[in-house]
Amino acid sequence: MRLAKEIWYLLQKELVLEWRQRFALSGILLYVLSTIFIVYSGFQQKLAAPLWNVVFWIIMLFASVNAVVKSFVQESGYRQLYYYTLVDPLALFIAKVVYNSMLLLFIGLLTLLVLGVVAGNPVTQPWMFMGIIGLGSMGFGIIFTFISAIAAKARHSATLMAILSFPLVIPVLMELIKLSLIALGFTQDTDMAQDVLILLAIDLLLMGLALILFPFLWRD
Amino acid sequence: MKQWIQKKGWKLLGVVLVLYSILMGMMVPLHSGISARHPLSAQAGDTTVLEIEGYNTHFAQAQDHLRVWLMLGDQWTLSAEHVAVVDERHIKATFILPDLLPVDQQVGSFTLVVDNPIDGVTLLPEALFVRQTQIDTQTAIAHWPQTDPMIELHSGPALTFPFRNILRETIRNTYFHVPMWFAMIFIFIGSVIYSLRYLRHQRADDDRYAAALTTTGIVLGILGLFTGMVWANYTWGRPWSGDIKQNMTAIALLVYMAYFVLRFSLEDNEVRARVSAAYNIFAFAALIPLIFVIPRLTDSLHPGNGGNPALGSEDLDNTMRLVFYPAVIGWTLIGYWMSQLLWRTNKLKAYLEAYEDGPPQLK
Repeated sequence: MRLAKEIWYLLQKELVLEWRQRFALSGILLYVLSTIFIVYSGFQQKLAAPLWNVVFWIIMLFASVNAVVKSFVQESGYRQLYYYTLVDPLALFIAKVVYNSMLLLFIGLLTLLVLGVVAGNPVTQPWMFMGIIGLGSMGFGIIFTFISAIAAKARHSATLMAILSFPLVIPVLMELIKLSLIALGFTQDTDMAQDVLILLAIDLLLMGLALILFPFLWRD
Repeated sequence: MKQWIQKKGWKLLGVVLVLYSILMGMMVPLHSGISARHPLSAQAGDTTVLEIEGYNTHFAQAQDHLRVWLMLGDQWTLSAEHVAVVDERHIKATFILPDLLPVDQQVGSFTLVVDNPIDGVTLLPEALFVRQTQIDTQTAIAHWPQTDPMIELHSGPALTFPFRNILRETIRNTYFHVPMWFAMIFIFIGSVIYSLRYLRHQRADDDRYAAALTTTGIVLGILGLFTGMVWANYTWGRPWSGDIKQNMTAIALLVYMAYFVLRFSLEDNEVRARVSAAYNIFAFAALIPLIFVIPRLTDSLHPGNGGNPALGSEDLDNTMRLVFYPAVIGWTLIGYWMSQLLWRTNKLKAYLEAYEDGPPQLK
């Protein structure tokens, strides 16, 4: 119960912090918008469903990395230490994962909106596609948050973040692309439930491991 | 003596097993097989002369005992009227095909069976397609020609690898490509175990062991990838066809190379050991879906994926098992030995770095 309360307060803290220093959030917004315009001006036409799908997830992937990379470096080491003495480190990690997943969900929906307006919207089952974005945000959120905790220990953490996390998200990304092709009405899959289950299983496995390993990371 | 076996015995065993697998894998001949035949199709009622090209066969030596059949389904056999031997690898078999086939289709697909006491029996499925103008199963069964029955088949030489039409001699790659990949997985598991041990006990040795095992694992992975590419070049037509399994392997290697980038970018020994151990464990868990789950869900040319069989009784007969399993154990032991050597050199390097100004006074 205490853990849940701590997570709740930390989540509020993250939100307030994000709102007070709006440069990070507006940076991500600008990033998404400019990438979409580059894609649009490059193709100069409405994109076919499979291409649209890949472009969507690539924009989502890069925007996510940029959004999450700051989560462990934005606050100074001393303040981090202060948090660790105040609350359970696990609560801190869970709060970051939840917050980042929410942020990524927001980025995903924004990308869907802008890309849909600019480059055409081939999504035939919008609710399902939003559900897939939700699943993706969760997977990306877990992996990127854990890797950002690792990368924060080293110099050049932004570069390291990309090197370490991109190969790791590929299974999740491949499942997402496969699933979203169904939502785009491009393929029909009878055992969609299996893909969703695999995605959830990967998320669960990685989240469990991250929770076990995080206590070894924060101590310095 | 007991100590010697414990310290050196497993290394010797590894060397012996790898040498044995290379020697056996390269020296044992392939079972005889049918590599080509002409024509590919015929008309029912015709007299067809089938030119057969054998592989590893001794047709001239076995001249008088050579027997050739065409087989339709499991029960309808038709022996050759006359067999003329051209040389050790080529024969011409004359068949008198019946007017009607006992199948309810326009075309019957015959399996070619060649048997002789020296090479044993060998068969080629879908060797001859016979077209019939009218379909009358009842009459066909009643009038099926009474020829030599397909009995007393010979088993041929005992120690051979199976002849597969697509693989041919490259079947020997089973003793290199697959065991290297198995060994890599075992070595990576070992590396994860040492990382876990580091997180438990914080001993620098465990961290060095984990890093050394990862290095060896990458080497074995690259070797496995290259032997796979050689094999793919022969069987799939291209060394790199972007198959899901190849892509996943490349990504897996990227993940482990990132492990070393991480190690280089961390300066403090203690932090480096701790953080890279955490990454190693996390990366291994992320690799399991990458290597074992995803390729099974999508289409792939690789055996074991997309419904293709692998390591079933079809692919691995008893002679092959005799070489394959020792090769797996041998490569794993060699990999572990390599890691141990690497670990020792790294330890010595760390020692020399720590005492640059001369050795410490030993008590």
